[in-house]
Amino acid sequence: MIGIIVYPSWRLSTVLLFIVFIGFYIAKVPLRLTKGRTKFIIIFSVLLLLIQLLVTSNGTILGFIIPQIGEFGPLFPVTDFGVVRGLGISTRFLLLVFSSMLFVSVTDPTLLAHSLTKLRIPYMYSFSLVIALRFLPLFDLENHTVRMAQKSRGITPEVTGIRKIIRTIRYTFFPLLVSALSRVDALSMSMDGRGFGYRSDRSYFRKSSWRMIDTIVTLLVVCFLAICLLLSVGYFPELSSFI
Amino acid sequence: MLEARNLSFSYDGITPVLNSLDFQVQRGEIVIITGSTGSGKSTLANCLSGFIPRSIKGKFSGSILIDDSDISDLPIAEVARHVSLVQQDPESQICTLQVSDEVAFGPENHAFEVKEIAILVDSSLRSIDAKHLSGRATFELSGGEKQRLIIAAMISCRPSYLILDEPSSSLDPKGVFQLRHILRDLKKQNVGVIVIEHNILAFQPVADRILILSDGKTLLIDKHENQESIQSTQKIPNDTISPLLSTRNLEFSYGDRKIITNVTFSVYEKEIIGLMGNNGSGKTTLLNLLGGLLVPDSGTIHITEYQLKDLNAKEIARRAATVFQNPNHQIFEKTVWNEQILTLESLNLVTPETLQKCEVSLDQAGIADLKDRNPFSLSHGQKRRLNVSSIAIHMPEVLLLDEPFIGQDVEGRKFIKETVFETINRGGAVLIITHDSNFVRNHCDRVIFMENGSILLDGSPTSVFERLVTIGYNEYIDSGVQS
Repeated sequence: MIGIIVYPSWRLSTVLLFIVFIGFYIAKVPLRLTKGRTKFIIIFSVLLLLIQLLVTSNGTILGFIIPQIGEFGPLFPVTDFGVVRGLGISTRFLLLVFSSMLFVSVTDPTLLAHSLTKLRIPYMYSFSLVIALRFLPLFDLENHTVRMAQKSRGITPEVTGIRKIIRTIRYTFFPLLVSALSRVDALSMSMDGRGFGYRSDRSYFRKSSWRMIDTIVTLLVVCFLAICLLLSVGYFPELSSFI
Repeated sequence: MLEARNLSFSYDGITPVLNSLDFQVQRGEIVIITGSTGSGKSTLANCLSGFIPRSIKGKFSGSILIDDSDISDLPIAEVARHVSLVQQDPESQICTLQVSDEVAFGPENHAFEVKEIAILVDSSLRSIDAKHLSGRATFELSGGEKQRLIIAAMISCRPSYLILDEPSSSLDPKGVFQLRHILRDLKKQNVGVIVIEHNILAFQPVADRILILSDGKTLLIDKHENQESIQSTQKIPNDTISPLLSTRNLEFSYGDRKIITNVTFSVYEKEIIGLMGNNGSGKTTLLNLLGGLLVPDSGTIHITEYQLKDLNAKEIARRAATVFQNPNHQIFEKTVWNEQILTLESLNLVTPETLQKCEVSLDQAGIADLKDRNPFSLSHGQKRRLNVSSIAIHMPEVLLLDEPFIGQDVEGRKFIKETVFETINRGGAVLIITHDSNFVRNHCDRVIFMENGSILLDGSPTSVFERLVTIGYNEYIDSGVQS
């Protein structure tokens, strides 16, 4: 991620995105690009691209979104700089989301917590990640239930006016917040009751181990980061002309 | 021996919840503690397990002793090595993503040796008959499996006493049956077990003593005494032909997982139908489809002459009212009164007459004097009564109730039953998801029993129960739930 932030090229992001999709395939993680949340993410990235096209007026004009019709128009010029900028932002957004999805799908949080503890991060903090991953699907499910509960009372989301928007938000967040807080209470009691935080150290039933593949991946990542840094300061002009 | 001596507690320092209570439980003994909503059962559990006064603040006096030693100076983690508490909702207590990690969590926090943890994980999972679940993801488990997992997670620290708060609330009759066996095994292992439970009959067969908590003090009651007499209601015959609610070839899936398969049935005026089946059999999903809250993949649902898909959300809400399992999900307003009139407001049905009806309904629900209170501050039972009162006030034709009796005391059950009878008396119909075989036997006209998303049996309670015995679902006949 740091690589494409220091060298924000849409071509590089696209290549990395392709590698992430190969990762999904190898890890046998199902990815339905036309369904549910994934569909929303793709629509959002297209919106990001369109907004950049609309707001960026610098560069060579390639055409207009609304062409000249009689005396009307043309409106909203599309420039080459706008296209590059829009593609850069939307591919970076997609890369960020899909690589995070792949990371969450293939990482065992308990082993990750153990790895972080080995890096001397106190286990109280590393476990917050485990708990977040444990409860995310649950809150998603509760959000769905609350929306059904609204429907059962004849409440439909209304956005025509500030009062109605506030009411819609309140009717969604009140029950979710109360439910989340009651779960936090129950969870903290359950964890306290099992001695969490009682000692400064703890043992681990399942432990992560460093393998050869981890060394190889780490070296590749470091090399990639170095190349990105060099590209961003103008080294390898031949390479930067096509990536 | 775990003992409470002269125990008093008040959350606000004014209203006592426990009042000079004395209580003892021996190792190897199973004690059920029951009582009405707000009688202090869960408060007593929190005192015995050390969360009061350590985590939950209030005015506390008296002492808790284990083998005659006062534990007031021990930190919560030390108390929990002796007394473990399994709270009501197992879902909220699971903090890891794999079954073996969850069971190992306690011993890991106490820095046990890895070899010792492996032995504890193995023996704890064996004691709840769940060795096969060891490598499974926790979020994939059923409600009953989660309940058993949390028990395993608690006993992996080898406590001398285990407290279970309303364990039957998330279990189907099969789960209750399994839990009885687990409690028997724990008793054999010399663990003292305290079961906080509204539904005494669920664990009466394994209990040594049953105590009733009233006015913050305990009273012993006979182990074999039934708390409530079973009332029979006169069945109102079905004299109409056209159904009030009907489904045809209903199918529904969550992603690739098929939940409802080819469900066809009709509900007639003045019918009370008990919807039964194991956890995960598709009962709640079916109820949500009938209430128009989910859209079927295929098949049709009709309410009277209207097809559900042709009605908008308000038109459906006017005809069918759904009460959810968790009352918190269905509370939206800041005061009890606003919550009570919310459905009327959203359906534009507010008139002086309907407002007057709201007053009467809140009074019948026993929460009229709490009108200005925040509904989230009510007890679980009160919230559920408010849900039922507010959702049925506009007299919908169909009432869909999902486990309405869970966590309800005698008064709560009475109010919900009255709402059910009022609905059928004015020509409506009621579908109730319940594991309460006594209620089904005494009040339902029909039972629909579901298995793997399909209707396995549909008929009178007597015929369905007879058939359930022959196909090996004996636990549903005596599911040990009071009506």
